[in-house]
Amino acid sequence: MTQLFPRNFGFLFLLGLAVAVGIGLAWVYLWRAQMAYPAGLNAPVEQPVPFSHKHHVGDDGIDCRYCHQSVEQSAFAGIPPLSTCMTCHSQLYTHQPVLAPLLAAFRSGVPLHWKRLYKLPDFVYFNHGIHVAKGVGCASCHGEIDKMPLTARARSLTMQWCLRCHRDPARYLRPRDEVFNLHWHAQDQLALGERLVRKYHIDTSRMTDCSLCHR
Amino acid sequence: MSPMKPTLPETDVGFDAGAARERLAATRGPVYWRSLEELADSEGFRRWLRQQNPGLGEALLMDRRGFLKLLGASLALAGLAACSHPPQTEIVPYVHKPIGQVDGLPRYFATVLTREGYAQGVLVADHQGRPTKAEGNPGHPASLGGTDIFAQASILQLWDPDRSQSVRHRGVTSTWDDFVAAALAMSARFARSGGEGLHVLTGPVTSPTLAAQLDALGRRFPNSRWHVQRPAGGRNAHDGAQLAFGKPLSTRLHLERARVIVALDADPLSDPAAGVRYARDYATTRSPDRNRGAMSRLYAVEPTPSLTGLAADHRLPLAFPEVGRFALQLAGKIGVAAPAGAAPAAGEQARWLDALAADLQAHQGAALVLVGASQPPWLHALGHAMNAALGNVGKTIDYGAPVEALPADDAGLPGLVAAMRAGKVDTLLALEVNPVYAAPADLDFATALKHVPHLLHLGLYLDETGEVAEWHLPQAHALEAWSDARAFDGTASIAQPLIAPLYDGKSVHEVLAAFTGDDLFEGHALVRRQWRAALPDDKSWNDALQAGVVPNSALPAVATSHPDLAPRGGISVIPAKAGLRGPDAGANIGEAVGPKGAPQGRRVIHVAAGEIETDSGLRRNGEQKAVDSFSQAGSGKHETNAEGRVAEGENGERLELLLRPDPTIGDGRWANNGWLQELPKPLTQLTWDNAALVSPALAAGRKLKNGDMIELRAQGRTLEVPVWIVPGQATRTITLHLGYGRRSAGHVGDGRGFDAYALQTSASPGWAGDVAITATGRHYPFAGTQHHFNMEGRDLVREGTLAEYLHDPHFATAHDRYPPDPPSLYPDQPPGEYAWGMSIDLNACIGCKACTIACQAENNIPVVGKDQVRMGREMHWIRVDHYHVGGADNPRTVSQPVPCMMCEHAPCELVCPVGATVHDSEGLNLQVYNRCVGTRFCSNNCPYKVRRFNFLQYADKTTPQLMAMRTPEVSVRRRGVMEKCTYCIQRIETAHIQADKESRRIRDGEVLTACQAVCPTSAIRFGDISDKQSGVAKAKNSPRNYAMLNELGTRPRTTYLARLRNPNPALEDKPA
Repeated sequence: MTQLFPRNFGFLFLLGLAVAVGIGLAWVYLWRAQMAYPAGLNAPVEQPVPFSHKHHVGDDGIDCRYCHQSVEQSAFAGIPPLSTCMTCHSQLYTHQPVLAPLLAAFRSGVPLHWKRLYKLPDFVYFNHGIHVAKGVGCASCHGEIDKMPLTARARSLTMQWCLRCHRDPARYLRPRDEVFNLHWHAQDQLALGERLVRKYHIDTSRMTDCSLCHR
Repeated sequence: MSPMKPTLPETDVGFDAGAARERLAATRGPVYWRSLEELADSEGFRRWLRQQNPGLGEALLMDRRGFLKLLGASLALAGLAACSHPPQTEIVPYVHKPIGQVDGLPRYFATVLTREGYAQGVLVADHQGRPTKAEGNPGHPASLGGTDIFAQASILQLWDPDRSQSVRHRGVTSTWDDFVAAALAMSARFARSGGEGLHVLTGPVTSPTLAAQLDALGRRFPNSRWHVQRPAGGRNAHDGAQLAFGKPLSTRLHLERARVIVALDADPLSDPAAGVRYARDYATTRSPDRNRGAMSRLYAVEPTPSLTGLAADHRLPLAFPEVGRFALQLAGKIGVAAPAGAAPAAGEQARWLDALAADLQAHQGAALVLVGASQPPWLHALGHAMNAALGNVGKTIDYGAPVEALPADDAGLPGLVAAMRAGKVDTLLALEVNPVYAAPADLDFATALKHVPHLLHLGLYLDETGEVAEWHLPQAHALEAWSDARAFDGTASIAQPLIAPLYDGKSVHEVLAAFTGDDLFEGHALVRRQWRAALPDDKSWNDALQAGVVPNSALPAVATSHPDLAPRGGISVIPAKAGLRGPDAGANIGEAVGPKGAPQGRRVIHVAAGEIETDSGLRRNGEQKAVDSFSQAGSGKHETNAEGRVAEGENGERLELLLRPDPTIGDGRWANNGWLQELPKPLTQLTWDNAALVSPALAAGRKLKNGDMIELRAQGRTLEVPVWIVPGQATRTITLHLGYGRRSAGHVGDGRGFDAYALQTSASPGWAGDVAITATGRHYPFAGTQHHFNMEGRDLVREGTLAEYLHDPHFATAHDRYPPDPPSLYPDQPPGEYAWGMSIDLNACIGCKACTIACQAENNIPVVGKDQVRMGREMHWIRVDHYHVGGADNPRTVSQPVPCMMCEHAPCELVCPVGATVHDSEGLNLQVYNRCVGTRFCSNNCPYKVRRFNFLQYADKTTPQLMAMRTPEVSVRRRGVMEKCTYCIQRIETAHIQADKESRRIRDGEVLTACQAVCPTSAIRFGDISDKQSGVAKAKNSPRNYAMLNELGTRPRTTYLARLRNPNPALEDKPA
């Protein structure tokens, strides 16, 4: 009876296996690369003007809402019009080269094109206003932005990450007064959180409804 | 794909009148049917339904090899399609933010859109400067919150990429500066000659600013002429008022006060000026719950089914000229003297005349006689006389000064063409009109244009007229320009722009300013100046803008005691006399001895003999008897055989042709609008085409099937068109809609359908007698949706009479075999904070389909095109089904809007392998697009057939204008994804977030779905059914409430209120 398998079958088998695993890994890698954000986590992106939240928020103490005006009313927090920048910068640092693009844009009326860091897929409808109203702090999603000289994305923004809070909001909520405080920490988060869930009438039964975010 | 085999129903499934009659005779109780094929229920039709599931249609016509090839290719390409990188997106802030703008929130601006010149108030949603959706303005008298289909489609018209984008001079792109220089040179030339040879052609004008500008033009150039081109109805209503009152008074109806309405070929429910308002008023009279058990009664006498005819309690199909003769006899019976000569009617007509006269006289002061726009002036005058005799004036009908601005001597389009042929026209300004396409064939406008040295055309599109014009000027859309307009009652509104002109367009005011020698050239300044007296300061101006109406601007009604309105004793015929139609027609009205029977001392309306045709030669009693027997076939009588009857009529029979504006694309100006093209036309459910609508009896006699081509011959002109058989059409009447057959409409509208203007004559634009037809043996593929989403003839619509309802309020569910909530094996959902539900009142629905198109605009629903509609792939989330009951010649019709039923025990959810369709805690049946993999199991398992699948990439993701048009709060769906009605979840969520922020409950009425908001008759109610005080909960408490396919145990959240009819016992067919 002749051999069913050639002599080097074991080698070929292992080689084939290795190639298959290699292809699989390559696919996974490619897929990750395709699906990943253009800018990585905690990696700043080059912007037309090297705007520093550290300087404006951390050093100068400007409130979030001075620039992001619609954060309490609208889905979109709002990116300040250049006229907001010019409330100070028509007087301050007007000759600094880093501000030249801002001044040029203001003079010419051609707006700046900021690179977007926090981008959700088109089928996700996130609303800033309701999160602020129910006691989700800015820092919960944007991190300690007052320590970022150049702004970077601080959280993954995956659906799994959203659901950690939506499944158990008590672990993350804070009093409304402290929403814009970037360094607030609760003494006993769980006890406070559960009290706030009741106080703010948060209907936890619908927090994981698909319709809450997808339409 | 291999060439498609022609297997759609119209080729192998004909309508068999004999089979239909037999089927009706064999059944007891009402039989509801959707189409004539279904009524006949032939083996061929059943085979077609079974084998060629309309939901699959032509897609099945593929061999196995082709299928496997496509399968393999799609698998391979699926990998490639994934090779895209999420792009680095940008945020571009304002330099200076507009005042009042909150980023991300829409703002609403009040403005008006016009239809045939008349204003309809709208509130337009503006997302960061992009108009995305029009809603009715509740404060505007012509809207009251609802709109018609055209207002909804205006958004797509604004963003239409085919709109004209630049000034053209002799076919070459030019600039506005060049045009203004040319216009000023022309003005200077005309200043020397007093405007000799300058003619202006416009549509109907109600805009005070435009009227003032035309007036200024007339004063500056006294020899110039202004002509008004009217759509197919012509100026008969206007001439009729002139005849009756000596003045062209305008008419306003108070349908909400009418108890008995007789529509003589009139269609107030789709009136171009006030249809939305009239529909609302009419609907209020149809609810016995709100009117202490009373209901109005509507009679329709008409040659071709209209929305009013579908809504009527009794409908009598009569040929077009016979409507007039019927009116003369009716007038005689209610004490309005009518000329002799009308032969006494027999049979059904006599029964009708007696019943109508008795009902009208029993409701003096609460009755209304309406005459259709295309009926001749004398009939309008007779209608006014009848209303006066019944004491309706000042109660159900009012008269006011004319709303339209009228030229001093309006020779209309025929007068213009005569002047053109005589070489008297040097320069023609065609403003917002397209006479090269939309003009009667006998005028031969294109040839007459050869005698005109200079043609200037202002229009939204580079259309047929624009192409041959010396100057073509792109017009700014109504949402891009300042203007003003009056509503049907004279209420004026300022139209404000929501967006700067997309394509460098200018408004008609700005173009005319170049000719009037005005010192102002800018639209805002021109309109502001016009209103300087009425709205002197900024506050009053801004208030008027914000409210959408100028306060107290309605034209007052003429007091009933005014001599102009003195009741007319009747109508008499005087020898034909020139000039009767002119402005001195009033001279013909005076004290005169009326015909016999006219009350003493009452004035009589004189009509020239040539104008009125009282001869009844066309009427043949035998013919009417045959129609009667056919429509009574349902009750078991069948004396005459349809084929035999028409065969007998073949010798010397006279067919007639009606030409009417198309119900969805009007006179052709909406031809490039995909939403309107794909909107199934009321009753016929045809999309993308017009057809020669013929009666079942005529079709049976000529052996015609749907889609068979015929040659229509009228006044020596011929046109080859396909036929579509319409139940309820008068036997000898053929209806052809205008507006199709455009040659230069744009990508969407070019070459669709058949140009009915080729058969139109200027003397009688709406009607042609003595028409002949011949079948040519060819066949045309239609895309009708009547068979799509068929629910297999189950008990879907329920209706009863007012008497039945008063006797047993629960008649709608009395025969249900199952309790309202049959036991179920599935667990109930835990109750959420709200329980959303919908109630649709079939008694209020008039089948206008505004809901379908409002849903399309709100929910980013794509247009799929004719070929896809033929495969049953239209995407509308809410469809309006028409069910007929009774014989094919004159059935009753029930319209039923069908959105998602939001079943509590939803069959679709159980079969989804990926959990893409699930329930949320407030009872919504969700479709999660990002989970859907497109198995279509859910659609298969849906008993209501309300799910729609993206077979191809229907949503345009590349054209910038169409991307900018979409509502940003609704996902744009990809190929391969199922979608359906969501109860406008984006609106629910917006209200939810607002209420949650304020820690309160959502108020009743805070969430309006798009279909609910647009509905002219408020037939749709939506809200929280767990709140017993909510409007929808109260509606569902009505005894008329029923659930569709209740026996399936799906527990739908959308339920219906049964329809009620208020028949006159004297006209009800006796039960067999």
